[in-house]
This record gives sequence, structure tokens and C-alpha cells, in this order.
Amino acid sequence: MSDPITTASFLGLSGALLGIGLFGILTRRNFILLLIAIEIAINAAVLNFVYFAAFASTPASGLNGQSAAVVLVGLAATEIAVGLAIVLALNRLRGSINVTEATSLRL
Amino acid sequence: MSPEGLAFLALGAVAVITALAALLVRELVHTIMWIASFFVALSGLYFLLQASFLGVLQLGVYAGAVTILLLFGIMVTRRRIFSREAATGLSLTSLFLALLVIVLLAAVASDLAGASNSTTIHSYAVVDLSSALFGPYGGWLLLLGLVMLSALSGAIYLVREGRE
Repeated sequence: MSDPITTASFLGLSGALLGIGLFGILTRRNFILLLIAIEIAINAAVLNFVYFAAFASTPASGLNGQSAAVVLVGLAATEIAVGLAIVLALNRLRGSINVTEATSLRL
Repeated sequence: MSPEGLAFLALGAVAVITALAALLVRELVHTIMWIASFFVALSGLYFLLQASFLGVLQLGVYAGAVTILLLFGIMVTRRRIFSREAATGLSLTSLFLALLVIVLLAAVASDLAGASNSTTIHSYAVVDLSSALFGPYGGWLLLLGLVMLSALSGAIYLVREGRE
């Protein structure tokens, strides 16, 4: 059997993870599960950056990919922090973190 | 099959299974444990791709900080943290959309099947990565810091005392 570390297998893996994340975003109604689904989708993108950095033709482009991945990890962590602040505010105002009940823009 | 290939298959399977389990189990605390193992599996993939700095970053930021933050969110918003989530029906439309994305991406991926003939994984020293981060990517890093600062003040504004 040939070596499974190929472009197609890595793209397949991150595509599957993106699909799982999208499925979670579309079906879950709990705000925290929604945040987790978004994290899965973002991690699928970061995995692509790291993969293409590892097989880049020049060191400079590989370092570009890894730098983009570092920036993305920071952005995703920031998004979780703001998301949880919204969860806390929503919980205080509505008594529930069901996103279908958050119908007004004014928190 | 090479040891790296076996490790990739194992870590990829663990990542997909834990991601699915995290979204499908009914108890939120179990979700946190599954998502933590998902982050650890991804960090294993980064180590496999010789991106050791990103692997450590993944372990520290995701498996450490984000997991604890999510657990904290559950503790604050629930009366009993082991209470079960109400079952959400699997809507056919969303299942179809997610499957459509997977199929489209798989089609693109199979087009690229022969694109990479290189089998050697490049590894970069942390010194080189940091000089790239503080050199050409310095502006992005600065922007990330500003985004984090505004996110911090936004989060404090959202949960401040004296509302309602």
C-alpha cells in the first residue's frame, strides 16, 4: 500500500473536518456547541496551512504558511473569548444560551 | 507503509471521530473532553508535519486555554454541569449541505492528487519562524495584538456590571 501522506489525503481530512464543523454550525442550537463547531472548522483551515507549509517548494513560502497558521490560531482564540462573553451576557439576560431565543440585536 | 503514514492514518481517524463525537454526544461536559482530544490529535498531526512550534501552540492555546474557557462557560451557564442537552433533530437540509461541501472539496482534492511529488517534509527552526513572524509578518502580528486588545475590551463591556 502506498504512503498515505499525500496532498489528496490531507485535503480530504481537512475537508471532512470542515464538513463536520459546518454540520455542527447548521444543526446545534446551544451557543457553546456552536462555538466548538466553529473551532473545528477553523482548525481544518489551519491544518491546510501547516500541510502546505511542510511541502512548500521554498523555505520562504513554507515560513509564510506557518506564520499565517500562527496568526489564525491567535484569531480563533480571540473569537472564543468574545463568544464566551456573549454567552455570559445572553445567559444573564435570557436565562438560556439557546441561539434560537436570541432574536434581537440588542443584547 | 511508513511509520509516518500509519501515524497520519491513526491521528486523522482520531481527529474525525472525536470531532463527530464532540458534536453528537448529549452531555456538554463529555463534549469538552472530546474536543480536547480533537485538539491533541491535531497537535499530533502538526508534530508529524515537523511544525513543532505550531504543535506546542496548539497544545497550549487550544487543548489548554480554549478547553478551560469552554468548561468555564458551561459551569457558569448551567445549574448542574452534568445536565443533558436537549436532543436536536438532525435536519436533512444541513446534513445535505455539509455532505455537499465534503463532496466538492473531495472532488477538488482528487484533482490535486498528483500535484505534490515531494515526499520530504520540510522542518523549519523556531528561530526562522520567529524572524518571519517579526519580519514580513510583523504588521499582521501587530494587527492581531490590536484585535486581541479590542476583543478584550469588548468582552469586558459585554459582561460588565450594572446592566439591566
